[in-house]
Amino acid sequence: MTSLAPNVIEAAAEKQKPALSIRNYSLAYNTLNGPVSALKNIDLTIGKGQTVGLVGESGSGKSSMAWSIMRYLPPNALETGGAIRLAGEELLDYTPRQMADIRGRRMSMVFQDPSTSLNPTIRLGEQIAEVLMRHQGLTAAQAWVEAEAALARTGITRPKEMLRRFPHEASGGEKQRVVIATAFACEPELIIFDEPTTALDILTARQILDLFNRLREETNVSALYISHDLGLVSRVVDEVSVIHRGAIVESGSVAQVFRRPTDAYTRHLIGAVPNPDRWIGVERPSHPESLIRLEKIGVRYNSPSLFQKLFKPAAAEKSTFWGARDVSLDIRKGELLGVVGESGSGKSTIAKVLAGLEDFEGNLDVGGKALTSRKEIDRAYRRNVQIVFQHPDASLNPRQKIGTIIGRPLKLYGIVPRDKITARVAELLEMVRLPADYANRHPHQLSGGEKQRVAIARAFAAEPSLVICDEVTAALDVSVQAAVADLLVKLQKDTGTACVFITHDLNLIRQLAHRIAVMQHGRLVDFFDRDDARADDRHPYTKALLDAVPVQEAVEAQN
Amino acid sequence: MRNFFASPTAVVGTTLLTIVCFAAIFGPWIAPFDPQVFDALNRLQGPSTIHWLGTDQFGRDLFSRVLSGAPATVTFGVGATALGVSIGAIIGIVAGVSGGWVDSTIMRILDGLLAVPDLLFTLLIVTILGGGMEHAMLAVSIAFAPGMARIARSAVLSVRTRDYVRAAIARGESGLYIVGCEVLPNALSPIVVEASIRVSFAIMIGATLGFLGLGAQPPSTEWGLMVAEARQYMFRNPWCVAVPGLSIAIAALGFNLFGDALRDSLDPRRSL
Repeated sequence: MTSLAPNVIEAAAEKQKPALSIRNYSLAYNTLNGPVSALKNIDLTIGKGQTVGLVGESGSGKSSMAWSIMRYLPPNALETGGAIRLAGEELLDYTPRQMADIRGRRMSMVFQDPSTSLNPTIRLGEQIAEVLMRHQGLTAAQAWVEAEAALARTGITRPKEMLRRFPHEASGGEKQRVVIATAFACEPELIIFDEPTTALDILTARQILDLFNRLREETNVSALYISHDLGLVSRVVDEVSVIHRGAIVESGSVAQVFRRPTDAYTRHLIGAVPNPDRWIGVERPSHPESLIRLEKIGVRYNSPSLFQKLFKPAAAEKSTFWGARDVSLDIRKGELLGVVGESGSGKSTIAKVLAGLEDFEGNLDVGGKALTSRKEIDRAYRRNVQIVFQHPDASLNPRQKIGTIIGRPLKLYGIVPRDKITARVAELLEMVRLPADYANRHPHQLSGGEKQRVAIARAFAAEPSLVICDEVTAALDVSVQAAVADLLVKLQKDTGTACVFITHDLNLIRQLAHRIAVMQHGRLVDFFDRDDARADDRHPYTKALLDAVPVQEAVEAQN
Repeated sequence: MRNFFASPTAVVGTTLLTIVCFAAIFGPWIAPFDPQVFDALNRLQGPSTIHWLGTDQFGRDLFSRVLSGAPATVTFGVGATALGVSIGAIIGIVAGVSGGWVDSTIMRILDGLLAVPDLLFTLLIVTILGGGMEHAMLAVSIAFAPGMARIARSAVLSVRTRDYVRAAIARGESGLYIVGCEVLPNALSPIVVEASIRVSFAIMIGATLGFLGLGAQPPSTEWGLMVAEARQYMFRNPWCVAVPGLSIAIAALGFNLFGDALRDSLDPRRSL
């Protein structure tokens, strides 16, 4: 057995050299106001075959970290010191030409949105083969064979067919598999995953995570997994580092960080993860009293033109796409109704119908009066039903001041006399926990969470009986999300307003909603009381959604 | 906007524009000679200490003539553009906001007009209206309207689907409020930028019309007309063609570069 000894020693030496080690690395960006620090004294080590999670909110510097490792920084980046070593080799010393050879071959990256990380004009097969030809010197024919094998490993059922398709002919999940196949194609030492599931639906994200775990075991690759989602990270990584304002505040094994967090920010992050078993909503209204009833609501897009109807009735029927079809549900006074579903399931379409933004078929029953088309919706209805949109950046007019924005409904509906508008705006700002002097600011001077509060204040300014929240927390960071949800509940408690809360986050909705409607492909497939979420007679799709939600270390740690 | 002068384009454009505007405002007063006085003894001279840029075929001082022609040229460019932009923007906003068949009808007609080249279209209108500065200006502005309408419409369309406009619709705001307070202020910057670039085209078309004898009439000091009048003496004294020609180029370039720089600084996606 003595002949094995040198190998063992060599292997041990290999093991000591981590796949990636970052030592005391700092980065700043040159701006007009002088250098702005993006990363401060980062220390991070990824061992061979290990996956390390980098968790932080937007603006924390996690993407800057990824680009630093890939050596692909903008011209105004200023590296102020430290070292980044790939298997012991100092990457900071390499020329751009040397890095071009390392990227793709020894390090690769998987991006957040597969629809923008693939070239729409090149067939998927060519995009994988390109990497193989460039870095492994294969001929085109060899590369295509290899690409097919790589794609087969990602669990795509007909890889050969998929190779010949263009990106727009594949679904989001399939595209992300292609990106992952490309990343794994040259068997790199390190792969950086930058929020690979954020742009995908829950069910698809779940499959991608499983795929990631399987490929990692098969190839023994080292990986850096960047995410804002604590629950998700806990499922895929061995070790986790929490990054806050450019500095790593805590790192360690998953169990250690989640169960015994030492840093205040980590504790705050873990506390903000929605826990479906912890109810934070308002009390259920004692007498269920109907506010608005939707009866067989349908919305068609691409409705056939008169010409088509007359001359090609068959084709006309086919070209119609139903954004929502036969949706019947009722909204009760003072309750919080959750609507969940994947993207494209029609949940936002329902929100638009309720807000009078979309033409519809069927009946909208309001206090005994049936509305049958969008044109019948009058100003009284519009005052009673207010909507808050998903993206706070887009829902506030950038040219108006916050005071004007919030004061507009007051003026429009004549809720308070003109001379009292300023005072009422200040009150409303206070209600959404913003300082009163924000009235003189423009939207771009506010953070995302603050803008969303302004949008909520504007909705409640009209003193409505129903507020529709269309994915209001989806564009926000976890900790801000929790604060916004909390605010909504408080406002509901104070005003008794009913709320339709549209979301794809099942954990969050189970904290807030009294009743939950599940939508799929434009149809209402399930409608149940929150308490019955786990009942046996749930629709299979509901069950699948509930099961796809990450098992959360973080949530367990909360309990 | 703060880093407007960071790009060389902006610096050059603004410098040229300042010179042109200075000449347009103070030109007639600082001109050393009367632009219309003949001097038979000093015809077709090159630059000298007395006549800085030389003299033309009648011995008139070129520097003074160029300076006194500046107000007409700049007024023509800015005036024609302003008129064209107003007409175009109104049409474009109406089309963009109303949508449906109104939009389709307006845009198809404009598409037809756009198929005719600017200069040809202008010539056509001038032929119908008759020559002269005012008619030329009107012709240029009419020729500009379809292009501006298209830009205004696309600006309105990109704003119209924003959530803050939707929020206004959901609130039950009147159409006038939505257009005036929500859509227009946010659609204005591409229109302003396009207008500032268009001024340079207007100046060039104006000069072309002058050259062809359809715009300003003698003894005007309009630059295009100056080039036309001096054309046959070009080989005896190139200065009398080069000076007004270069003036046109500087004015056009100034507005063009300034507009480009304005677009870069107003649209963050284009700069880095």
